[in-house]
Amino acid sequence: MKQVPLYSAVAAALLMSTMTTANAQENSTLDIGRLALAGYGDVTYIAQSNMKDEDGNAIQNNVVARFIPIFLFQLSEKIHIEAEIEFSTNSEGETETELEYANMHYFFNDNTIITAGKFLLPFGQFGANLHPSWINKAASNPGLYGGHGGNGSLGGITSIMGDTGINIANTWTLGDAGRIFTDFYTVSGPRQEAGDHGGGVDMEVKKGDNNDSMAFGGRVAYAFLPEWEIGLSYYSGDYSDDGDLNYSAYNIDFNWIGSYASVRGEIFGSTAETEGETEAEVEGEHGEEWVKDFDKNGWYIQGTWQARQLGKAWLNPIELVVRYSDIESDFDGSIGHDFEEDAGKMGSRIYYGINYWLEPSAVLKLGAESTSIDNEGAGHGGIIDDRVFLQLAFGF
Amino acid sequence: MKLVKLLLPLITLTLSALSVQAQHLSDTSLVAKGAKVYGENCARCHNARPAEEYSKKEWSVVIPHMRAKAHMTGKEALAVEAFLASTLTADVRNISSHESAGVPKRTGAELVTQFGCQGCHQLKGEGGTLGPVLDDVISDKGEAFVLQKIIDPKFNNAASAMPKYPMSKEDIAAIIEFLKQ
Repeated sequence: MKQVPLYSAVAAALLMSTMTTANAQENSTLDIGRLALAGYGDVTYIAQSNMKDEDGNAIQNNVVARFIPIFLFQLSEKIHIEAEIEFSTNSEGETETELEYANMHYFFNDNTIITAGKFLLPFGQFGANLHPSWINKAASNPGLYGGHGGNGSLGGITSIMGDTGINIANTWTLGDAGRIFTDFYTVSGPRQEAGDHGGGVDMEVKKGDNNDSMAFGGRVAYAFLPEWEIGLSYYSGDYSDDGDLNYSAYNIDFNWIGSYASVRGEIFGSTAETEGETEAEVEGEHGEEWVKDFDKNGWYIQGTWQARQLGKAWLNPIELVVRYSDIESDFDGSIGHDFEEDAGKMGSRIYYGINYWLEPSAVLKLGAESTSIDNEGAGHGGIIDDRVFLQLAFGF
Repeated sequence: MKLVKLLLPLITLTLSALSVQAQHLSDTSLVAKGAKVYGENCARCHNARPAEEYSKKEWSVVIPHMRAKAHMTGKEALAVEAFLASTLTADVRNISSHESAGVPKRTGAELVTQFGCQGCHQLKGEGGTLGPVLDDVISDKGEAFVLQKIIDPKFNNAASAMPKYPMSKEDIAAIIEFLKQ
């Protein structure tokens, strides 16, 4: 029954598409191209002299380089194909490749876009639009996305980034400045990791599905252009092999963009059902089965300011950034439990940075970040995790 | 479920009322609208990128990608294409444009409208906020600064998104005279 609203929304979007008649690009006199190459890349030096791994060994300062081309192909004025591939080097010196997305847009009419394939899920703003390094104002990721890119002790608590399925996007124009953006999608969804208590939730995109249940979700946002946008996202999917355990998440994102400053942030919460059984009173018998919630919550807020507001030519390329992130997770309402890895943590991260813009899409970032895990006993707890970044990021 | 069934026709009718009519790219009013859409939408996520970063043909492939990313309507995407195309000559870098000849003389006001300056700049209380207000720009910055800014928008700010327009010397002089008023 949870999927009824989604199916209804999809049906409404399709009905709308058949009723609307606009085809704005017909008879265009623009020089129509077929192929374009875009993308981004970065090279990052990370100094993390105090950071140690779980065995107490020092983690060396390192330099990381990535190249992420986006292949764009216009099959017709109605059909557009895009694929993004990330090339990077791992610690063994091997080249790693990852298909970030590969999909087809069908521009059904003026307001409606149907996307099929592997795509970045419209869940919040950072994962879908803001994570490319030349767009991300900081050299690292917000705490709740910490795991994406490997930022040490503060494991990310959301990994709702991309999946394979279909999305229907609509834009509703409300006057000169008002817009409502909607996305509704259904995708393969999460999987179950091996382990006790139902295992963890594996969000990595893989071929096929481990159960007969598709995940679904969407984002509804209101924008008052050019300054404001606020969005509400929801995601739900059964992740266990038998389809009995559910993972659901919500996200509230907001943007304020001024002439010289910006403030943006996200609030995130997720619940993963976990299962187990109590210890049997009589040896050899089964205990009582239980299903309990494993919750993860977090938020971040980021502010930027462009020094060109001061009117000094030499300050024009300079931008200041500050970002604070906070996460916590608990099992059945309690921080204290014996789950490992990222369970049972309370942590925060603060980032200060200064950016020097070389071009509108090329930036040199110098940043300092400090992460703290607040509850003792959790993995990495008590380890000082301070680092300094120097990153050159570019979009092309 | 009944509520959903009841709402579906209502939603459908509402949405169908929002349908738009096709508009031709050669419609000059698209340029001003495109500049406005460009100024309002690009900066929602990132710095607006100067038109000369891609050729016209490349933009025609990039814009549909950005249409999906930014939730632009087809009409808005077409307007942005028209705006970007208006700032680009065939050689993209617009090097030879300052010597162009044979073009009917246009007033500064006409040129400001044609190039969609108010998509990013406010003038007499109207326009976008991506760039600075233009009302007192001559008295504040000086005529030489404005002249140089139009010829080479990045001369004082490498990160400036202002396009390098294909303008003749006469065009630039007309715009400066208009901004003095």
